[in-house]
Amino acid sequence: MATVRDGQGPEGAATVVVRGESGSADQPLLSSSSALAILRLTGGQLLLYGVLLILLIVTFIPIVYLIALSLKDNGQIYGRFWSMPDPYRWENFALGSLAIWRAVLNSILTSGTSTAATVVLASLSGYVFARHRFPGKELIYTGILALLMIPPILTLIPAYVLILNMGLENTYWALILPWTSGGQVFALLLCRSFFATLPEEFFDAARIDGASELQSFAQIAVPLSAPILVTVAVVRLVTTYNQFMWPLVVISSPKRQVVAVALTQFTSEIGVTDLGPQMAGYILASIPLIVLFSFGMRHYVRGLTAGGLKA
Amino acid sequence: MGLSTPGVSNKSWFNRNRSGMPLSTGSGLSGLPVRTAAGQFWQAAAAIALAATLLLVVAMPLSAQSPDGQLWVHGSASRVQAVAVSEDGSLVAVGSRDNSLSLFDGSGELLWKFEAENSILGVDISPDGQWLAIASEDRFVYLLDADKNVLWKYKAARPMNNAAVAADGSLVAATSDDLSVYVFDNEGTLLWREELGIGVRAIDIYGSAEKARVVLGSDDGLITIYSREGRDLLQAWLDYSVKTVSVTSNGARILAGTSDGSAVLLNGANGSEIWRFEAEDSVNSVSLAGDGSSALVGSEDGSAYLLDGSGILTHQFRQESEVLSVSIAGDGNRLSIGTVSGAARVFDRAAALSGAARSSAQRQRLIFAVVGVIALLILAAVWAARTTAAGQQVWQRSAAGPLGVLQSMWSARLSYLLILPTLALLLTFNYYPAFSGLYHAFTDWSPGVRTEWVGLSNFYSLMENRFFLSGFRNAAILVVVSVAKTMTMPLLVAEFIFNLRNRFSQYWFRTLFVVPIVLPAVVEILVWNNIYDPAIGLLNESLKLVGLENLTRVWYGDASVALGSIIFIGVPWVNAFALLIFYGGLISISNEIIDASLVDGASTWRRFWSIDLPLLMGQIKLLLILNFINAVQTFELVFLTTGGGPGASTYTPALELYYKAMRMDRMGIASAIGMILFFIILAGTIVNMRFVSSSTEYEA
Repeated sequence: MATVRDGQGPEGAATVVVRGESGSADQPLLSSSSALAILRLTGGQLLLYGVLLILLIVTFIPIVYLIALSLKDNGQIYGRFWSMPDPYRWENFALGSLAIWRAVLNSILTSGTSTAATVVLASLSGYVFARHRFPGKELIYTGILALLMIPPILTLIPAYVLILNMGLENTYWALILPWTSGGQVFALLLCRSFFATLPEEFFDAARIDGASELQSFAQIAVPLSAPILVTVAVVRLVTTYNQFMWPLVVISSPKRQVVAVALTQFTSEIGVTDLGPQMAGYILASIPLIVLFSFGMRHYVRGLTAGGLKA
Repeated sequence: MGLSTPGVSNKSWFNRNRSGMPLSTGSGLSGLPVRTAAGQFWQAAAAIALAATLLLVVAMPLSAQSPDGQLWVHGSASRVQAVAVSEDGSLVAVGSRDNSLSLFDGSGELLWKFEAENSILGVDISPDGQWLAIASEDRFVYLLDADKNVLWKYKAARPMNNAAVAADGSLVAATSDDLSVYVFDNEGTLLWREELGIGVRAIDIYGSAEKARVVLGSDDGLITIYSREGRDLLQAWLDYSVKTVSVTSNGARILAGTSDGSAVLLNGANGSEIWRFEAEDSVNSVSLAGDGSSALVGSEDGSAYLLDGSGILTHQFRQESEVLSVSIAGDGNRLSIGTVSGAARVFDRAAALSGAARSSAQRQRLIFAVVGVIALLILAAVWAARTTAAGQQVWQRSAAGPLGVLQSMWSARLSYLLILPTLALLLTFNYYPAFSGLYHAFTDWSPGVRTEWVGLSNFYSLMENRFFLSGFRNAAILVVVSVAKTMTMPLLVAEFIFNLRNRFSQYWFRTLFVVPIVLPAVVEILVWNNIYDPAIGLLNESLKLVGLENLTRVWYGDASVALGSIIFIGVPWVNAFALLIFYGGLISISNEIIDASLVDGASTWRRFWSIDLPLLMGQIKLLLILNFINAVQTFELVFLTTGGGPGASTYTPALELYYKAMRMDRMGIASAIGMILFFIILAGTIVNMRFVSSSTEYEA
């Protein structure tokens, strides 16, 4: 189709072809081979580009600043604030990594374990809630949903006391167990609604072939729902990796601290006072998220947009 | 039945907030299906009631008090750096940083107070309480008798850091920061002095008269036993610095605490290791009972560990701060613990140990009570089913009767089994804390010590707490600002990108705007801390560069701009999360609608207001409530920047909750703050659900 948009509002452009159609019958603008034509720039579009570019630059100022500082030593920062790093102090990254590698490992361990547990438990119970019939099902399910009403701030202190009473403070369990538990609620919602969309015929066929309930869960439901499980995992990993208040409360030993809190204790606990290594540490702490997003961004975005709002 | 309710799955993404709060059950009431409001409500109520009773059974015992057997506590403003207890526990010496050494009797009555010229670093008391050796930062070691008479004192070149006295007072030994050990007789004559050339502060004495021996531990991990004359009798090596030693009265066992957090029991005859106990952090002080049948280990991790003769942990005394010094009475019955926060506590060992037993009795009573309540509830339900009209309906509907239900429950046992782990976790870590928080908001709560019902007094005291009130005002401001931020910039940018006519540009702009999401949330705040740094921050430097030096200031330290500075963090506020949601909403608007509007000649502006915005109402509602919930609970943003200051100008309720709970041990008041925030969030959620128009609510 060659839909023609007239009067594109503020841009005031006369007539422009929309959505990648060749539009042979249109303006000379398109026949020109200049870059302007490739981008289909008109006055209005130029304005959009300008505004977006400015916003993008402002958004990136802190990141650029972070990178610049991470490559300078204190002398360069205090003496020549505005100049580029010269020489580049790559050893800042070595120093920074020495200070935070342990915290990063702690974070990966706790986030990873709790995410894995969440995915396993939520897919199991999501499957049960979607496909099984048993007395009290909707009642229990509603009871779980009701937890969405509980803000973390209400449970913070009692959960901390609970952890104390269990003797788990200052252990990885103090992070893993509550995170696993808390993450299940939303994961369960997702899993149940996803499993419910799987055609009943698959499971009937499996049953006829003699598959047990657990077999049809593991060999039909899970493979088919891999995308949603990955989405759950990515979201949980990001969420737990960023947790700050809970580890701050339950973990006091620097040996066990997770990265979000450890970064804030750079000077007091780890003894790094130079800004450069500190900034390098901030960047290094982002690596797990960079890795995660570089393959999982698609899942994260899909979860946010299509999956989340149109499930 | 069996299929998920569509109203539910819509909201499933509520948990995806990045702002990171613990136990992220996420947030938001709108997770509840609203189709058949009344019926669902009762169902939810019933579910909650069921869960509540279940968790009473499951989790209540965990909250049972574990009384530590505390006899008395002496609190002071300055850290308690040394404690010592006599043989029968009738005398307790407490030395603190305020230069004073106080001697208490067994019931906590102050007998006398001795003032040195500087803080007290070490104290030892002979079993009969007749002799006290005191090491002070004023470089003196003192020997006192039971009546506070200073018998003699001796001055070293540097502060004396620890002292020990023999059972009969015939030998006094002291270690000093000048890296030497000094040994005196009862008259204060220096018998010998050895310069070790390495840090030393672990010292103890056993035996009496001519048979007295000095046990010394040094920073190179060496433990040495010296004779009265200074002859070196035995040496043992440990892997880490020895920070403290204690020895039984016959010298058969030596307990050493090291900087790696171990307490190692050595055989006094040959120096071999008998057992080893690991604390969480460096061990500051150890003490052995006279016969070695029990040991107390005080660690920097904030606990004192009571061990039995074979090194098995029998009780953990959790303190509010690092434990600097511990002492156990010669007979092992009285324990004393001194902490950084200035508390010197004395415990009774038997009571501490029986605490566990007592709490199990409590537990039994509780379980009986709960079972009773459940039985009553069932009776009431049966009665209701029999007599009320509605109840009879329900009764008949489940015509198969209770037996049928039980049968079908049994046949569905696999289902229950599969969801059991999920339920157990949720009950323990989500349901139980929620109810516990609501309950303890009405108590004076100090876990492990006391829980007293105080009615509304926590709430009254909050009404007079200027930090809380200021926090409330700030939270209101932050809520408004945060909602405004999210509703403007990300939506604007999403629209702009959506209106770009080049798909390639669309893709890159979208991706680049989302890139900052890879920084951990705290890093963004920390980088902004640097931008605001008054000495060498980007903001002040930029202002200087363009000649606006009069505008530079201490951004976090100036009450008039501190809150503004915090709000300004993250400019231009193109939140990646919101951007993705809005953009996703925009691209899901069907082309037909847009094309139709074009045919009708609608301008972009008109299209935005009449098509995009109404169709984005679902996303707007979602972001509105998420932002509201997060902003009400704002914590990191102030904790990591201003810490609430200057004064109370940037406090938030969550910050005050944290301080109350973690720094002042006022768990009850903290719970009350949590409860208030909970109800505010609940109200906001309901308002959002009910009154924010969503004529075109997104469909399942």
